[in-house]
Amino acid sequence: MLKTALDHWAGAMLLVLLCVTAGAQQETQPLPAAAVEFVQQILSRSGLPSSLAVGFRNVSTTLPPDTQEAVQNAIFNAFRAANVNLVKPEQAQAEAQISFSEDWQGYVWIAAVKQGPASQVVIKKIPRRQRVATARTPTLTIRKIPVWQQDLQILDFYHDERNLLVLERGQISLYASDSGQWRARQTLGIPHQNPWPRDLRGRMEVHSGHIDAFLPGTRCSGTISPPALECRASDDPWPIDPALVAFFSPRRNFFTGLLAGQSAGASVAPFFSGAAWQEGDQRVWLFTGTDGRARLFQNDLNSPAATYNGWGGALAAVRSTCGSGRQILTSSPADTTRPDSLQAVEITGREAQPVSAPIDVFGTIQALWTAPNYNQVVNGVMQSQGTGKYEAFTLTVTCTQ
Amino acid sequence: MKRLLLPLLALSSLLPAVCVYGSSRPRYGGTVRVLLRDRIMALDPLAEEDHPATRDRLAALSFETLTEVDTQGRVQAGLAATWGSDPLKRQWRFRLRLANFHDGTVLTAADAAASLSKSNPAWKCAAPDRQTLIIDAPSAVQHMEELLASPRYAIVKRELDSAGATVLVGTGPYRLNQWQAGERAQFVVNEDYWGGRAFADAIEFQMGASLREQFLDRQLGANAAADVGIDQVRALEQTNQSVTVSSPGDLLAIMFLQGDAPSRTGRKPVDPRVREALGLSLDRAAINNVLLQRRGAPASGLLPQWLTGYEFLFPGNPNLERARDLRADAAAYVVITPIMLAYDAGDPLARLVADRIALNAREAGIVVQPYGESHVNGRARASINADAVLLRLPLQSVEPSVALAVRAEELGFGEAAPALLGATRPEDLLEVERKLLESRRVIPVAHLPQALWLNSTVHNWQQQPNGPWQLDQLWIEGAR
Repeated sequence: MLKTALDHWAGAMLLVLLCVTAGAQQETQPLPAAAVEFVQQILSRSGLPSSLAVGFRNVSTTLPPDTQEAVQNAIFNAFRAANVNLVKPEQAQAEAQISFSEDWQGYVWIAAVKQGPASQVVIKKIPRRQRVATARTPTLTIRKIPVWQQDLQILDFYHDERNLLVLERGQISLYASDSGQWRARQTLGIPHQNPWPRDLRGRMEVHSGHIDAFLPGTRCSGTISPPALECRASDDPWPIDPALVAFFSPRRNFFTGLLAGQSAGASVAPFFSGAAWQEGDQRVWLFTGTDGRARLFQNDLNSPAATYNGWGGALAAVRSTCGSGRQILTSSPADTTRPDSLQAVEITGREAQPVSAPIDVFGTIQALWTAPNYNQVVNGVMQSQGTGKYEAFTLTVTCTQ
Repeated sequence: MKRLLLPLLALSSLLPAVCVYGSSRPRYGGTVRVLLRDRIMALDPLAEEDHPATRDRLAALSFETLTEVDTQGRVQAGLAATWGSDPLKRQWRFRLRLANFHDGTVLTAADAAASLSKSNPAWKCAAPDRQTLIIDAPSAVQHMEELLASPRYAIVKRELDSAGATVLVGTGPYRLNQWQAGERAQFVVNEDYWGGRAFADAIEFQMGASLREQFLDRQLGANAAADVGIDQVRALEQTNQSVTVSSPGDLLAIMFLQGDAPSRTGRKPVDPRVREALGLSLDRAAINNVLLQRRGAPASGLLPQWLTGYEFLFPGNPNLERARDLRADAAAYVVITPIMLAYDAGDPLARLVADRIALNAREAGIVVQPYGESHVNGRARASINADAVLLRLPLQSVEPSVALAVRAEELGFGEAAPALLGATRPEDLLEVERKLLESRRVIPVAHLPQALWLNSTVHNWQQQPNGPWQLDQLWIEGAR
């Protein structure tokens, strides 16, 4: 499989400028090239007439007039380049009626060519370009920087200047930086006994070249160099963010609610994602419950200080130099039939205040994890609704000028 | 009925909202209850069925195909993990993934070969080892992956029970738990599904259900979804109910039961000029605008414009003058008798359209006598004492060559299927479709969508552009 690195630290600054409009572009043929190919097909089927009358009609409901004009001009130019005289119908050796149509996946150009009693039809299909995401005017701005894109499901990822590690369904793929491109280096398998749960989730951390990966009922440890990984059946708790560790259900897609680490022994309602931080002398936890409610706890994990509705299932905490200096990035309450969006929220007392406009991601958020580098970056994974590909990206919060 | 439905729907807006939240992360648990208008008598994808599209929706929960086509039209791996073909696209080799049937036995290539041989007896299916399946088709199949994704090619293990009855066993995310033919079906989750346990614990279907009655009983809120007629869509939308409408993919068409030569006893074939005249008399735009409430599309081809992009090349506008000339021309040579047009007596929309066809035909001097039949599909047609039937055919694939080949077979043009499946260019499909239409054995009338009411607590109910549901990612709020 051809995999293309979208980012490298050397190109990061350029991508920052493009980050919010970084929707995956479907590869489409440029219109002039498509027009040349179309004309060549017409001529090859109609026996290279020396003179041709060409007419156009538009039966598409989505082809803009200026695009139609551009395509018509490209087709005219292609005929002229092929030394075909374009003439009026009464002077023509052959007549081509070209229709701009469409199907559910793109544009369809159809030429009905009449030459004496014979007639030929030529059809060319052109995939429609996808929409790109647009940013709304924010108070704070969420920067989304694409890192990697692939067909296989991405559960989590790690990258630095030299290495990109992608946690996938049943393996970790290692890539090494090579002249600004990520080159596949090694694949480390993750053996497991039972089928993975649907909506599979996973967590990976890399510290000083040491890999720790967590999947439901499975834990793996290894090294980047030399590439090695050992896995075993395990119910060990997963690190959620630097201040939160919790047990994950081995057969489902959520954390059971039993906490570990600094909060060992405490339990909350089962949750999809969570964050914990210190606010002055106050310890704060925030969880998105499997019942659809987000719960805020302050110092005491026995009863929530506040409950919020209308949040998505994914959240992650991030540090920034804006606002209160700490924001929570949350996904929207969408499902796979509708595109997700991301928004930054600040917790003030018991209130959750949106501090950025939502940014559309044109896909489904699969994961948000606070990256370990000073908590200033959130690693995210989404599946594009347009292409079906999985995209790894980083999120940061910046101040609006 | 619509007058009554509207206030009832307004009442329904007072139904308790279970929760006003949602999440992109699916939840496990719960039972999804679905209302179906049709009554399904058997789940076997190869059985004769009056409502095959509805049957296929249920069957897909238990019986899987080697490949799948997602909502964007992309081929995905199903029970086959990988595949390839020879350069001629006649021999196809599939590598099966590790999966279990619901009875705990392992899926083998021999099981798949036996199932596919029954689906298509013209194929030679072999299993050189437990995981490798080889299909030898008598002619090229360019889009075998898309063809095998259609319900007819579901992998089904057929066994006899102690009473000698055939038991169907599948591999899908849900297994059939309770079955009352024509009444009710309950599927429970397959805990050991190779793709991971599905989210909902069970999916229940109540057949022959009336949306209107559910509103009267104020019971709709307990249901997750209901398939609805397109005549009900507007009323639902006016009360802010969530309704999804597929692209108009089903074909409503008049199919003449005999060609130019007599092939049935009792009735003479309808003269080809009269058949053509009937087609020219139809005001398809009026049928769509009035009877279909603009939810469908006038049909001049066998496949819809949104799928092929070329349907507009087939003329579909009425031409009464030409129709009258053709009728008069025919009358000079043969005695023109009334055309007996059978329609599905259980489909009120079919009756309305048949009546409108008769009305249009009369303006061209052609007498059409519509009447309802209890069964108009499949082998039942052989016993119908009619000249023509008004059929509703589901769109079986979003790959045009597969869709057209299946549709041609359903319309009695099975001989065209090899050319369609072997076509390498859309121009080839266009030409075959043109020839089928020029036989005047089939007169397209309209393309119809499929509509669905969805409760706001339901998530990931995915509907393919041609209508089938993908429910393996389905989950509901309020579950654990």
